[in-house]
Amino acid sequence: MKVLVVDDEPLARARLAALVAEIGGATVVGEAANGLQALEMAQASGPEVVLLDVRMPGMDGVETARHLARLPCPPAVVFTTAYEVHALSAFEVRAIDYLLKPIRRERLAEALLRARQLAPHRAEALTALPGGVRTHVSATQQGRLRLVPVTEVRYLVAGQKYVAAGFPGGELLLEESLRQLEAELGARFLRVHRNALVAPAHAEAVERGDDGLYHVRLRGVGLAPAVSRRLLAGVRERLRGR
Amino acid sequence: MGASAPRSQDTPFLPDFCDIRAVFAVVLTGELLALVLALMSVPALEFWPVLGSTSLFVQWVGLSAAALLCAGGRHLARLPPAAASFAVLGLVVGLTAVLSLVAVWLFDEGPQAPRLGGEAWAFLARNVAVGGLVGAVTLRYLFVQHQWRLNLAREASARVQALQSRIRPHFLFNSMNTIASLTRTDPALAERVVEDLAELFRVSLGDARAPATLERELEVSRRYLEIEALRLGDRLQTRWEVASLPGGALLPALTVQPLLENAVSHGIEPSPTGGLVSITGRVVEGVLEVRVENPLPPPGAPDRGGNRVAQDNVRQRLEAFFGGAAGLEAGPGGGRYVATLRFPWRERTP
Repeated sequence: MKVLVVDDEPLARARLAALVAEIGGATVVGEAANGLQALEMAQASGPEVVLLDVRMPGMDGVETARHLARLPCPPAVVFTTAYEVHALSAFEVRAIDYLLKPIRRERLAEALLRARQLAPHRAEALTALPGGVRTHVSATQQGRLRLVPVTEVRYLVAGQKYVAAGFPGGELLLEESLRQLEAELGARFLRVHRNALVAPAHAEAVERGDDGLYHVRLRGVGLAPAVSRRLLAGVRERLRGR
Repeated sequence: MGASAPRSQDTPFLPDFCDIRAVFAVVLTGELLALVLALMSVPALEFWPVLGSTSLFVQWVGLSAAALLCAGGRHLARLPPAAASFAVLGLVVGLTAVLSLVAVWLFDEGPQAPRLGGEAWAFLARNVAVGGLVGAVTLRYLFVQHQWRLNLAREASARVQALQSRIRPHFLFNSMNTIASLTRTDPALAERVVEDLAELFRVSLGDARAPATLERELEVSRRYLEIEALRLGDRLQTRWEVASLPGGALLPALTVQPLLENAVSHGIEPSPTGGLVSITGRVVEGVLEVRVENPLPPPGAPDRGGNRVAQDNVRQRLEAFFGGAAGLEAGPGGGRYVATLRFPWRERTP
């Protein structure tokens, strides 16, 4: 069984890797110090299980797990934590496993065994994990997981099946609903239409287009989402302050 | 030993009757009693003469009792509360009886004076009953008030104990994990971390009211940062500039360490690259200043909480130890987070 170890503390990683090596049938295929590195390694080495520290700087364990769940072959995730378990304990213990540090070898062996058996059920549970505000949006493109920092996203426009997240250089198709995204990222985005949110930080102007509607011009992207008549005054008010 | 001053928790519930304030309270209570008794005397015309004679008698009993209690206070203080109460009650009743007889003998004439005979016995009985009842009620009042004071003292002490800075459990478990890892790779270092951790917890679990020397507090803080440095690796850099601080100055234990714990938890841990925690000390006109600086948390980092709690805790313990003379200021400044502790230079008197 291929195992990826993710923890921001070098000594914690070293111990966990040593423990995994001692368990028969498991090999460490990589050690990552943060969430982004973990996602990269997970795609490169295709682990079956990821041992994921909950509390890490930058992208924390919970967010990393949500992105991992979007991989074409999502690995099973076992969280590790020193103390705070409240974020996870709300979940069914069977769906999300976590180990308390310092981790016992027997507990780790058990968790690895169970992870393999329950892997298929877990991806779903992971995408539904409530976490803080995400730092990145993610989607698979041509079989690879693509991550874009939320700070780079210019707009979120709902299509028929997906929400398109636009950034300079392209679009990601997100699986969540616009409503969910607004609930989580509302502090950074402004609703301009029933089906669109824009990032005021990147807004350049509100202009009337050839179609007679008003649009928000955004720095670095071609698409200028339309503003609904009902929201126009509010949007102008909010963007004028910038 | 023997007649040494009683400890605070078993102070006698009876006040010191040699104290002028206690004597004043006796006079006041006596006068109130006389007033009540005079008001109860039926014919309105007789109010003032009755008040005069009753006051005279009540004060006579009251002040004599106070004088006797002042003389015998030392012995009473050694008795358990119940025995002391009965002794005082007996004294008051006895005194009332004796002085009533003296009064009858002295003022055998006059309009209000009771005549000898059946009337005199009724006078005596009434006085003894009133004296006993008022004495019992007063004793009960003193006892209840004493209990209330004890409770107040106990609560205040409990509050200080509860305020005692507790090292965060997160730190304990992380350190355990560090030790578990080092045991395999570097047993000697693991051993040192166990020693450092033991020292930190010895202080943390110690008596909250016992002050520490600044030298000791800084040493404990240094040990704390050493453990964290092992865990966080290159991410934690530290700079100490405390040479100008007097090591013998006193302060409540664990007042600097929680500031460092905040600095690590809010300034270093949330950042992938870490940063510098600096501790600088100086003395300005007899006031000691310890400054802890750390990087601001990166924007968008989740709030880890606990910062305010630890600061308020330090503030309250400073307040309890130094009164208003010490303080803690904290907030962002110059692109960093700065916590400044100020307290007067106090040393242990040899």
